[in-house]
Amino acid sequence: MNLINFLQAIGIVLFAFIFQTSLTGINRKITARIQRRRGPVWYQQFLDIFKALTKTSITHGWIYDFGVIMALGGIAATLMMVPIAGFESFPGMDNIFIITYLLAVGMLGMAMSASGSGNPWAAIGVSRALTSMLAYDIPFMLVMIGLIFKFDTASLSNFAALQQTGSIVTWNIIKYPIGGFVALISLQGMLGKKPFDNFIAPAEIASGPMVEYGGKHLGMLFILHELSTFIEVGLIVNIFFGGGPTVIAFLVKYVIVYTLTNMVSQVLARFKVDQMVMFYYKVPLALAFIQGFIIVITNSGGVLWF
Amino acid sequence: MDLSLMAILLLIGSFITYFVSRSNKKVGSYLTILITLFALMYVYILKNNIGLTYELFGVITFKVTYLGWYFSIIMATVYFSAAFFNPFWMEKFLYPSQYNLMYLLSFLGTIGLFFSNDLLTIFIFWEITVWTSTFIIPLGKSRKAGVMYFVISSIGSMGLLFTLMLMYNKVGTLEISKVFNMLANEPKLASIVFVMFILSGLTKMGIFPFHIWLPQAHGNAPNTFSPVLSGGLVKMGGFITFLSVGVFPAYEAFKDGLHIAGIPILIYIMMLLGAVSIIVGTLMAIKSEDAKKLLAYSSVANGGYILIGILLADQLGLAGGMMHMLNHAFASAASFLAIAVVAYKTNTTKISELGGMIHKMPVTYTVFLISIISLAGIPPMGGFVSKWLIIQALADKGLLLIAFAAFFGSIGSFLYVFRPLSAVFLGQVAERNENLTPPSNMMRVPMIFLAGLVLYFGVLPRGVLEIIGKIQASVGITPVELNGQAIMAVNGNLDALKVFVIFGFGFVLALLLFLAFKKPRKVDLMDTYTSAEFIYTKELYHYAHDFYAPFERLYGNHPSVEKWADQISYKVKEVGDLVNKVFFNFNPSLSILWITVLIVIIYLGGVII
Repeated sequence: MNLINFLQAIGIVLFAFIFQTSLTGINRKITARIQRRRGPVWYQQFLDIFKALTKTSITHGWIYDFGVIMALGGIAATLMMVPIAGFESFPGMDNIFIITYLLAVGMLGMAMSASGSGNPWAAIGVSRALTSMLAYDIPFMLVMIGLIFKFDTASLSNFAALQQTGSIVTWNIIKYPIGGFVALISLQGMLGKKPFDNFIAPAEIASGPMVEYGGKHLGMLFILHELSTFIEVGLIVNIFFGGGPTVIAFLVKYVIVYTLTNMVSQVLARFKVDQMVMFYYKVPLALAFIQGFIIVITNSGGVLWF
Repeated sequence: MDLSLMAILLLIGSFITYFVSRSNKKVGSYLTILITLFALMYVYILKNNIGLTYELFGVITFKVTYLGWYFSIIMATVYFSAAFFNPFWMEKFLYPSQYNLMYLLSFLGTIGLFFSNDLLTIFIFWEITVWTSTFIIPLGKSRKAGVMYFVISSIGSMGLLFTLMLMYNKVGTLEISKVFNMLANEPKLASIVFVMFILSGLTKMGIFPFHIWLPQAHGNAPNTFSPVLSGGLVKMGGFITFLSVGVFPAYEAFKDGLHIAGIPILIYIMMLLGAVSIIVGTLMAIKSEDAKKLLAYSSVANGGYILIGILLADQLGLAGGMMHMLNHAFASAASFLAIAVVAYKTNTTKISELGGMIHKMPVTYTVFLISIISLAGIPPMGGFVSKWLIIQALADKGLLLIAFAAFFGSIGSFLYVFRPLSAVFLGQVAERNENLTPPSNMMRVPMIFLAGLVLYFGVLPRGVLEIIGKIQASVGITPVELNGQAIMAVNGNLDALKVFVIFGFGFVLALLLFLAFKKPRKVDLMDTYTSAEFIYTKELYHYAHDFYAPFERLYGNHPSVEKWADQISYKVKEVGDLVNKVFFNFNPSLSILWITVLIVIIYLGGVII
């Protein structure tokens, strides 16, 4: 690790922020069209973030500030490890488990800060967010176990590279459609899109964890949201859609996956949190097990018992 | 440096402590700190004596091995750190001098166990620890907890005793390596010995269905002893488990039997028990209303990880399991100590009665935060490195069911570690806790020490893994591969130091962004958005009770081992009552009847034979 790596890492974070924020703006427009509105301009999201950052804000104690910094820091650090079209700012750090667990540092920071505000709405929101995490993460991780067993690697760039040997047929979403389907449903939960948005639930629990934030704290959390979206969609694109031989290919796939997720979100209603857990543990988990067993059994020559 | 000398010194020291405590309990409790510190240093120096054997009283034989040294260092560190809390609890105990004696004797028992060279020594020291800790637990909140602990421990003791007698009959010697090597060619005998021997490990580690003693004992033991129970004594189970797959040639003995995904069926079943422990421990921890019980259930879950890791007995899994033992010992001791501080100041460990402790004791909060991040296996703490190793091993072998439990426990731990963090330390401060004084520095020292270790092993795991590598090499397993600070696994590498540096870099960036904009205005905790309600009672404004209510409802009607055990104890009591009524009646004529019947039987028996 030298200075170049760190500069590249800052570059990656800035790029991801600008790209995803623009994409969010465009998707706000798409959402509006689905709902037959005109919608805001595409750069509205930038305006919102910068306006929030420059306003005065309140604090409820040191943990309230520290949590926000830890959250944004953790998410930014995670983002620096995600390979984009084969490019890594810190080579060799793109292990899937490191990324998913480091992502949790950011989440924990945000949860801590929200609870530190002393507002019960925030605590309820965090409790729902963590419960949702228990629902959507496990089917996804099980699918990943199957794939790691198959390809003998847990590195995202290796996953992407293995799929770039041939045409679209080598993509994991085509080769392992059940697993790919599970991952897409999990992505819907990871991004907090409907029907799995119960932890934000604006009209119900006053935006949950976000309830107390304003000013620069809120601005930083907006940035955090854009960065974590980039990480999660980036994971799916790298693992199931062949990453990208070129940056353009990567970004095109990224735009398609994200926009599809958003469009699905606009036509569905919200699950209650226990309904969400039951759903994930019935359908995606069963499918994940089926996919996993297919991979393990075929790989060991059709023999599991001997 | 003589190990037998140390054992004798510890024994003498504990009795001196007892008599000193009789006259002055404060001085006695300080002696426990000094003696454990002495033992910690003594054990550390023993590293130079690897391979030497010692004898005591002609029956007890010790051998200094890397395995024993590793376990003893963990144990001595935990005992030493928890001893700092003893002076504060001397006023609260009914029998303080007895506590000090038992504290040191149980420590002696663990150290002796880890250096045992034969099965008899294992049994003797095992029993010393069980008996002494049985007398400490009732000094806390509940006598029943002590009984439960003893009953479940006895199941393990019986397993151990059975192995000992069986092997002495068969082989004629009790030396561990000789006894176990002989079993490699006798799969049938090996499977009996394997099950009986590992049984003692399972009971001690609190593996399902023996997990019921942990929440009872950890939750009700004195606040100073809970860290030792969870961080220390449970690890004796890990030691036994290691012996039963590392030294005991389990994989070799069962190589012709049924295998599942390359694992012999008997070992696979044990792993499944570990997986069930992870799930049960996690679910029960999520719904615990008491902070100490919550941590106890988390010990059940983490015991599952340790069991699975060690039973894999390969390059990665074993290293992960062994390292998880160390990480869990320190993290769980630190978190129990943090809760002990809270309990010392507020006299309660019920989550819903606390809140906002961060404003009264920020250091304790930071320690608790670091240790529970490690318990949950989140970087950059030690727990992450070891869980990563275990999950890599599971992915490599394609053990889907076990991997499911591992992930469930991992994500589920975010839920249960966040609960005390949020409801005990964050949120509103209750009126009655407004005037708490900060804890004394003597309490802070061991907590900061343990939290520092947790962080250190998360950033620089090489030192520990090198020792584990030596342990692996000593039992013929390929040592875990290291390259600088990086761990080289089959499916990818983990450089914990780099992860830490990158995380720190991200943190600095976020900090700069935070500082670049206007300074925020400080407002009171009650000055929040309330949906236009007016609330002036702080307790009402603290979300702590039924934290995960929607999720808990999903498994509210779960079957429970506790109820089943209660039913069994009820039946046993009924049978006992019947026996009492029929044979030991107050009515003398009934006794005369039985005596007559007995004489007749004996007489007839004599005639017939």
